[in-house]
Amino acid sequence: MNKLRFYFFHLMPYPFIPPTAEFPSSWVSLSNKHYDPQRGRILYQEYIEQLVAAERHGFDGVAINEHHANFYGTMPSPNIIAAMLVQRTTHIPIGVIGNAIPLHGNPLRVAEEIAMLDVISGGRIISGFVRGIGCEYFNNGVTPADSVERFDEAHDLIVKAWTDDGPFTWQGDHFYVPNVNIIPKPLQQPHPPIWIPGQGSLETLQFIARHHYTYMMVFAPLWFTKLAFDGLREECRRLGYDAPKSMFNACVPTYVAETDEQAHREAKAHLSWVFNTGLKIPDQLFFPPGYMTTKSFRNFIGLLKKGKVKPQQQLTYDELLKDRYIIVGSAETVKNQLGEYCDEVGAGGILAAGSSYGPMPNWMVMKNMQIFSEEVMPAFREADGKPDHLRLEPPAPRTRSEFAARSGRPEEPARSRVTGSTELIDHRLAHLPELIDSTMTRATTARAKERPASAG
Amino acid sequence: MSFIDVVDKVEVPKPARFYTAPAFEQVFGIPVAYRRQGKGEAVVLMHGAGFTRMWLPLYGMLSEAVDFIAPEAPGFGETPIPKWFRNFDDLTLLYDQLFNQLGLEQIHLIGFSMGGWAAAEFASFYPRRLKSLALITPVGLRLPDNPGVDIFQLAAPELMDRLFKDKHVMQEFMIDPEDFDEGIHLYSEFAAAARLMWAPRYNLALERRLQRLTCPTLVLGGEDDRLVPNEMSDRYATVLPNARLIRVAGTGHEPCLERPREVADALLGLIKETTS
Repeated sequence: MNKLRFYFFHLMPYPFIPPTAEFPSSWVSLSNKHYDPQRGRILYQEYIEQLVAAERHGFDGVAINEHHANFYGTMPSPNIIAAMLVQRTTHIPIGVIGNAIPLHGNPLRVAEEIAMLDVISGGRIISGFVRGIGCEYFNNGVTPADSVERFDEAHDLIVKAWTDDGPFTWQGDHFYVPNVNIIPKPLQQPHPPIWIPGQGSLETLQFIARHHYTYMMVFAPLWFTKLAFDGLREECRRLGYDAPKSMFNACVPTYVAETDEQAHREAKAHLSWVFNTGLKIPDQLFFPPGYMTTKSFRNFIGLLKKGKVKPQQQLTYDELLKDRYIIVGSAETVKNQLGEYCDEVGAGGILAAGSSYGPMPNWMVMKNMQIFSEEVMPAFREADGKPDHLRLEPPAPRTRSEFAARSGRPEEPARSRVTGSTELIDHRLAHLPELIDSTMTRATTARAKERPASAG
Repeated sequence: MSFIDVVDKVEVPKPARFYTAPAFEQVFGIPVAYRRQGKGEAVVLMHGAGFTRMWLPLYGMLSEAVDFIAPEAPGFGETPIPKWFRNFDDLTLLYDQLFNQLGLEQIHLIGFSMGGWAAAEFASFYPRRLKSLALITPVGLRLPDNPGVDIFQLAAPELMDRLFKDKHVMQEFMIDPEDFDEGIHLYSEFAAAARLMWAPRYNLALERRLQRLTCPTLVLGGEDDRLVPNEMSDRYATVLPNARLIRVAGTGHEPCLERPREVADALLGLIKETTS
């Protein structure tokens, strides 16, 4: 197994908005009059091409997520983007990290879409479940005070819909479904891997430990990521198991260029934009009432007051570097710092490494991706340089003949009793005269003679 | 889930000004805080989303003339919020039970802001319990062309600014932004408010149900309410049977705090009128 896995992460920002100083928030209140769909189309093309390119550059996965009513990430429906990536890639895992499951009226829609994607992609989907950040709750009728409860229940419903044979009735506190019987079911068994993001709250860590899910950190300083990872390891030990490294994904944007100096020159403005402009969110939008329990809110505000954490929109570029929110430099620098980072926090994967950041031009994203994959990635790989998933048997056979060789004919061939027949006819053979002719009346054969049926 | 599980167990801070210790009455498994003083007609006031835990000047004025009772809804002031508490129906039934336990049969009911909505809900279910109903800058009806500002999107300073017409009054009631515990407590009260009012911000059935009322009703609006459109009090005054509308001069959204004497006089006038 490789030392580290790398996930190319895209938020799909729309950066053509007034300068930061002119608006209080790039979420919720900044008008969509600033969104030009013609320009948006060009961006989508670029962004999707970047994600597709990540496969041939050797990333361990691509990752996308859901946000609403903002310019930081224009993917209100990440499953749509995932569907495109499924069609334009062949082997790379696709992480939808994730669907904001408390926001939707019927969580089964997410269960169905992820199942469809998983089946069509041949089992390449990683299914993240998120609550959505506080801002999302202003854009629909779900009260943030129900967010945690709805998340828990939607999760339980989706996993049960994937794993239990239907139909069954769901009688929840927030959702009632008389008949749960999703078709298709996911290809991966018992279900696609589930990733859960967190900001270190004990409730989340316990939830992940209980279910053996994968944790993904949001943008955070190294010390905070370490604190959360240590907490999760502790929770797993408490439950009697050692958490494998693959359970821990840190989220660290990295930019690499010819020299340290050149890397900073190229990346500074764009990486700063992500935090200072893209995440420019006033507290009352970030933490709508009830989104956090009062206890968690108290802890968080306590950290803010003590100056232990700073609102992301106020972080300077130097602070981002110093606290290891981001890693920027020559290949040598990035390799060393990534190595130190992962040893220190015990991460098995890095989200947003070698990726696209804010308004970074397409060519620069591609440059970062190329240098990262050629000069940084191999240092964390086995000698063959492959991502782990290419060393494993794929979840689904790659070819039809392979499938046929392994699975043979269906257990239940398509059969039906055709009008005029007394026996079930196998549809695979249903056009052969021995089986079908005896069921035909004079009228149908007469018509058949006038207009010969097409073969096959 | 147990019937009495509370959402958050947290220390409730005591505001520096106007704080008095409440009495508690156990209702549906939770201790409901209330403050009660005075003799005479039973008058109940339902608070808005804020200014809890305090014996406000208005309360003192009213308690000189009547038996004044100010309960605190679940999640507000010192009343904990149980997990089952989700909407105004829960609040209405809880208040009905509280009044039963406190031996209150017929009452004069007052509500301001969110408490105005709560009072209107209560009135629509228990019209025969009411001797009079007074709503002060209430919310809860749909104004199709004027949804107003989203209070949940406002930062604390802007919210405070919009509440008051007079900056001096604002200073008197303003919470110290450096007061950590008070800030946390306010967040928890807004979480309770979000359960009641996040979506929708109105009850379409209310206009129809309020037609059950037979008691005299009074609507007190602000002169220039920059939080809830003045149109809201107009609408209530139109919908409520037997309603009068008074706009209290010099007030914004908080006439109770801004002009307590004028508000007390108007309320006591209504009470006197219905009992003489």
